[in-house]
Amino acid sequence: MMGAARPPGQRRERLRKWAGTPVTALVSALSAALGLWVLWRVLDWTVLSAISPAHPMAICADAHGACWRFYVEKSRFMLFGTYPYSEHWRPALVSALLLALSGLVGLRITGRLSFIRPRVLIAAWLVMIPLVFVLMGGGWAGLAPVDISRWNGMPVLLILSVIAIALSLPLGVMLAVLRYQSRWPVLRRAAVVYIETMRGIPMVTVLFVGVFVLPLTLPPGTVISPVLATLVALIFFHASYFAEDVRGGLQSLPGSQDEAARSLGLSWGQMMRLVLLPQALSRSLPALVNSVIGAYKDTSLVVVLGIHDLTSTARMAFSEPGWGGFAFEAYAFVGAWFLVSCAFLSWVGRELHRRQGAQGG
Amino acid sequence: MQDCRPPLARVRPDWLGIAVVGLVAAGLGLLGVNVILNMHAAGLTPGYGFMAQAAGFDLSESLIPYTAGDTYARVIFAGLLNTVFLALASLALATVLGVVMGLVSVTPSPPGRAVALLYVELFRNLPKILVLLVLYVVAVRGLPPVRAALSLGPAHLSNRSIYLPTVLPDPSQIWLILPLAASALAALWWTRKAARIKRDTGREWPVVPVVLALIVGGPLGFALLADVPLTLSLPRLERFDYVGGMRLSVQFIVVLLTLGLYHGAQICEVVRGGILAVPAGQVEAARALGLTSGQVTRLVVLPLVLRTVIPPMINQYVNLIKNTSIAIAVGYSDLMSVSGTIINQTFRPLEMMLVTMGLYLGLCLLASSLMNRVNDRLQARTARTAP
Repeated sequence: MMGAARPPGQRRERLRKWAGTPVTALVSALSAALGLWVLWRVLDWTVLSAISPAHPMAICADAHGACWRFYVEKSRFMLFGTYPYSEHWRPALVSALLLALSGLVGLRITGRLSFIRPRVLIAAWLVMIPLVFVLMGGGWAGLAPVDISRWNGMPVLLILSVIAIALSLPLGVMLAVLRYQSRWPVLRRAAVVYIETMRGIPMVTVLFVGVFVLPLTLPPGTVISPVLATLVALIFFHASYFAEDVRGGLQSLPGSQDEAARSLGLSWGQMMRLVLLPQALSRSLPALVNSVIGAYKDTSLVVVLGIHDLTSTARMAFSEPGWGGFAFEAYAFVGAWFLVSCAFLSWVGRELHRRQGAQGG
Repeated sequence: MQDCRPPLARVRPDWLGIAVVGLVAAGLGLLGVNVILNMHAAGLTPGYGFMAQAAGFDLSESLIPYTAGDTYARVIFAGLLNTVFLALASLALATVLGVVMGLVSVTPSPPGRAVALLYVELFRNLPKILVLLVLYVVAVRGLPPVRAALSLGPAHLSNRSIYLPTVLPDPSQIWLILPLAASALAALWWTRKAARIKRDTGREWPVVPVVLALIVGGPLGFALLADVPLTLSLPRLERFDYVGGMRLSVQFIVVLLTLGLYHGAQICEVVRGGILAVPAGQVEAARALGLTSGQVTRLVVLPLVLRTVIPPMINQYVNLIKNTSIAIAVGYSDLMSVSGTIINQTFRPLEMMLVTMGLYLGLCLLASSLMNRVNDRLQARTARTAP
């Protein structure tokens, strides 16, 4: 906000802020130079030296900036890959449904849309997950069947992130409870071993186990597609991280909750279900959101297995002969998508932090 | 919660737990039977005998002498060494970057804070694999070919490798271990003595410069006196490529930069949180005692920051070690990509993945237990000096 007549002291104040000590002045100068340079390069690439989408592709060959025509030509390929062209509405619908449901969950846990019951959301997920596979796979009601190897791009990214997260949450909560309780020491020990092992190995090795070892463990003759195998591996992997977040919530509960529940005559199961878990889950929500962001971003690691999620279809889009010059356009597309979606998730996380700060808990 | 049961209380065995674990074990056994059946169908028997066979593939780079005729076990070891090397280099880069940006993010300078914020938000909201792929495209497309390499003194940078001068290895260099050990002992003695003097008299004796001089000067002096060959090897351009010197592939540099930038952003947040968590009263009290601003930072703020920062830092370091496995995406021969190649060659996913996971688990446990020990000592020291 710029006041019309600034008091004379304010300018000196600003100068002191920027260059109070020699170190501050140096940091200011370097940062400003770096910031301006980055800003200039971004502006130059996206606008000044860029080719507008109205021009044909041929002009783009020796341009320094972005070729916006590339998106006109390739965005459908980057979004849906080799899915049959005439059937693109199906992956589009699946992606929209998954995004809408995830967005609803995100808004609900920040306290908005409180008229939606959690039970309704859980039911929606239970309906949605099979629906996604049925809609993508086809083979009913006149929908052409599409082999799972042709599921590419955005729907694969969303299936492997959103559905894996949705399915691993219950498993994670169960593991957290097993690790927290002291009633069944063997189970507790087993949960500790599982969680610590999973958290001690890289996700890439877990993905490799899913794609290479999991098919071996099935009865001879059974075939499992890499996408499904990865989904299974991701569910087991994320569960261990979620388990630790929820355990944090459980451990932060005061012991009096436990005692009060017991003195009311609740059984162990009732105490967990009615008293401890609801409070623990709401306390661990910020940590869970952080883990969800990590899990969502890491989903793109499946590119090393040759599974065609968004990052991989973007790479395919510039790997064809003649398209090699458009790597930055393709990756900028993926980057923009992740920046936008992660910004939403971080916003949810910040809202939760703010609310918990306000509650003082 | 302490155990406050009466000593004679009967401990019921955990039948439910034993039953569930037994069921899970039985399920795993069933899967194992399937593995054996499937491998028999492919004409293989599970086992680790293949480890002694010749690998037959070449590594793009290796820290130990390795040829395609060596065994699978040696290839795995070479991959493990590459992973450790990559992890150590990235740890150093990420720590330096993270601490510098963390300090910048709390400076009074608005542009500095803006740049730090931009950096953190960018790398926290992009997947690391995307950063890696973009940097790889930049390096391969943006850097000049070998013949037109960018040169800075004796170092050369091309789109395939970075070439650095190095000391030629010589068998007699093994004797340098002796003066190195002696210098380390002397340095240890000096550190203890300086600490004792500081405790008794309050006088500050130089520690870091003396230790550095001892560690570097001892072996160097020994090499000069005893005539141990320390020939410098400079990279020079032959017909198609540079020869001599040390060669670091562009894949290595790209993964190093990715991990450094990515975890630098995380460490920046850790450092920022640690600095902001220092109670303002501590700084005010130190100022009121008449300490200069440098002394306030060194004697009051830094010890407090260090204490809060180390546990999350250990987390970051362990994550970084695990994340070196993304190097497989650009084909740096780390542990993961070596074991991927072996799986494709021998079709032994179960055995290889068990070995690989075991090695990563071991590395992570080693790193976290080492750093936890450092943390314990630090906490114990601050606790001892506290009233």
